[in-house]
Amino acid sequence: MASMSASKVLMGEPVVEVESLGATYTGIPVLDDISLRVYPGEIMVIMGGSGSGKSTLLRCLLGLHRPSAGRVRLFGQDISGLGVRQWVVLRKKMGVAFQGGALFNSMSVGENVCLPLREHTRLDPNTMRIMSRMKLEMVNLAGFEHLMPAQLSGGMLKRAALARALVMDPALVFFDEPSAGLDPVVAADLDELILRIRRAMQISVVVVTHELESAFKIADRITVLDQGRILMTGSVEELRNSDIPRVQRLLTRTFEEQPVDPEAYLRRLTGGAD
Amino acid sequence: MHAMGLRGFTERLGRRFAGGVEDFGHGAMLLGESLFWILLGRWWQQPVRVRAMVAEMMQVGVLAIPVIAILAFANGAMMAMQGIYTLRDFGAESQLVAGVATAVTREFGALITGIVVAARSGSAIAARIGTMQMTQEVDALRVMGISPVRYLVAPILAALMLMMPLLTVLADSMAMVGMAVISALQLNMGFATFVDQVWRALTPGDVWQGLAKSFIFGVMIALIAASNGFNAQHGAQGLGRATTRSVVLCICAIVVTDMIFTFFLIL
Amino acid sequence: MAFSVEKKQGFSVVVLNGDVDLSRSPEARRAIMKSLKKMHNVLVDMSAVDYIDSSGIASLVEGFQYARANSLEFALTGVSEAAMNVLRLARLDQVFPIYASLDERITSGA
Repeated sequence: MASMSASKVLMGEPVVEVESLGATYTGIPVLDDISLRVYPGEIMVIMGGSGSGKSTLLRCLLGLHRPSAGRVRLFGQDISGLGVRQWVVLRKKMGVAFQGGALFNSMSVGENVCLPLREHTRLDPNTMRIMSRMKLEMVNLAGFEHLMPAQLSGGMLKRAALARALVMDPALVFFDEPSAGLDPVVAADLDELILRIRRAMQISVVVVTHELESAFKIADRITVLDQGRILMTGSVEELRNSDIPRVQRLLTRTFEEQPVDPEAYLRRLTGGAD
Repeated sequence: MHAMGLRGFTERLGRRFAGGVEDFGHGAMLLGESLFWILLGRWWQQPVRVRAMVAEMMQVGVLAIPVIAILAFANGAMMAMQGIYTLRDFGAESQLVAGVATAVTREFGALITGIVVAARSGSAIAARIGTMQMTQEVDALRVMGISPVRYLVAPILAALMLMMPLLTVLADSMAMVGMAVISALQLNMGFATFVDQVWRALTPGDVWQGLAKSFIFGVMIALIAASNGFNAQHGAQGLGRATTRSVVLCICAIVVTDMIFTFFLIL
Repeated sequence: MAFSVEKKQGFSVVVLNGDVDLSRSPEARRAIMKSLKKMHNVLVDMSAVDYIDSSGIASLVEGFQYARANSLEFALTGVSEAAMNVLRLARLDQVFPIYASLDERITSGA
């Protein structure tokens, strides 16, 4: 499946377009010169270890973190200067499934999935209920709508979050760490689910993950992030054949011995005092 | 070494001050944004939900009734006892009701209400919003195009603005009851006489003063608690610190504001 | 463009068109429910539908449910491939009676 879609021609206006983005977090630079595009119907995996800056990149894409340089365009619109109303229009076209689900604890699963509908549409409550049940059905959570989030397992929370992200029929879905904290079987199910939903709804998906295996399984293209920079962007095939040493190291998971500069090392240990 | 210590101290002081200014700015922004949603949300098709407001009124208001009632009753009784003890020396026990009733309606009704609500809700609101911030629920609201201020803060603000004056009326009344009981026991004052004396002693201005203050206390509690919640540092420790800070700041703000109010109204 | 309802061979045929999305599905729902409440058998003609989202599908589900509860007939005709995909995704292609056209429904008897 993945290899088939990798050969697919990337067409149309990109739904996500990042141009030489830079970002700092509490004053420390974490992203530098990031550029990437996500095309309609594509699954783009942003991969990197912890501290690679992938979470900050996601927050920039979602408009939750203000970049220090460059720009982000969603559906062709620069998000830096958007007013409240323009944001709402854009938000309705995208869904986000957060790492821990981020379901509202005071509401049942069904109410959580319904929330975007209740806030943004004037549909009949009955229609909303059917819509949210349809989405729960899609993520294999049929019959769980009356449970509270606290009663769900980690994998179920992620699936419920996905249902909530999908309830407005978005054209673009972000998924933060779908396999983090899950056992391999449940994680594989979730990967399968992402593929199925993309196929059926023809939507673009941006997945942020540190899991190599999951990335290879679902990605049309992978962007590898390392220390705040993009190492490479390409299909699974291109990634495998890459001769960039750091990418190879990532694939083989070998530890890189850092050369020691005795002067600098000593200074670090003694706290910089001469 | 000494110079270093002094520099450290001034630095800390400066940082505290800057933090305070930042807090104030954040609070003012929350207030502006909340009022915007309360007043114009419906017109923007993003209303502040009545259901959420009612739920908050229940939480911050109705559930605080027993504590406020008991504290206000006790406070009224204590003030009456102290009053009798002091006034007896001057043979002026008959002035008791006038003095205590004014003090209660102007000051202590609102103050007790403020402190109880700050203690109960100041921590609960900060904890709730802080937790939601940590579990990314606040982010989830944002990316759904739902303003967290409209959804989380505005209902609390509206509920407190409505409930604080009502709770103050309750506190005033319960303090009067406490006072009436003591007057009956110590001064053999009949209930009718008591009511008559209260009626004659109090002006509408006395009551309004208390109610206006309580309204402002409500606004302060909502803003201080919410901003502490939004700014909570990650982790259990951060959450604990945010809730404690919220309660302490709420109570300080209430007492200091009360004093400033009284200063300008009485002098 | 509003959705028209035509009486044909004992059926109320609700003709949907264009995009049946969040903004127009309440209207589709009203048209369908109105015919059903008159105790008519309903066919929903979807041949002029360009796009239907899940709110549109949900309205069809509601109509179907109402018809079943009141022993009325409810079926879809002229379902485009795109709409069929959406139905398949929710596995509703196995739930709704689907015919190519009104004529096919008539000749199929039942």
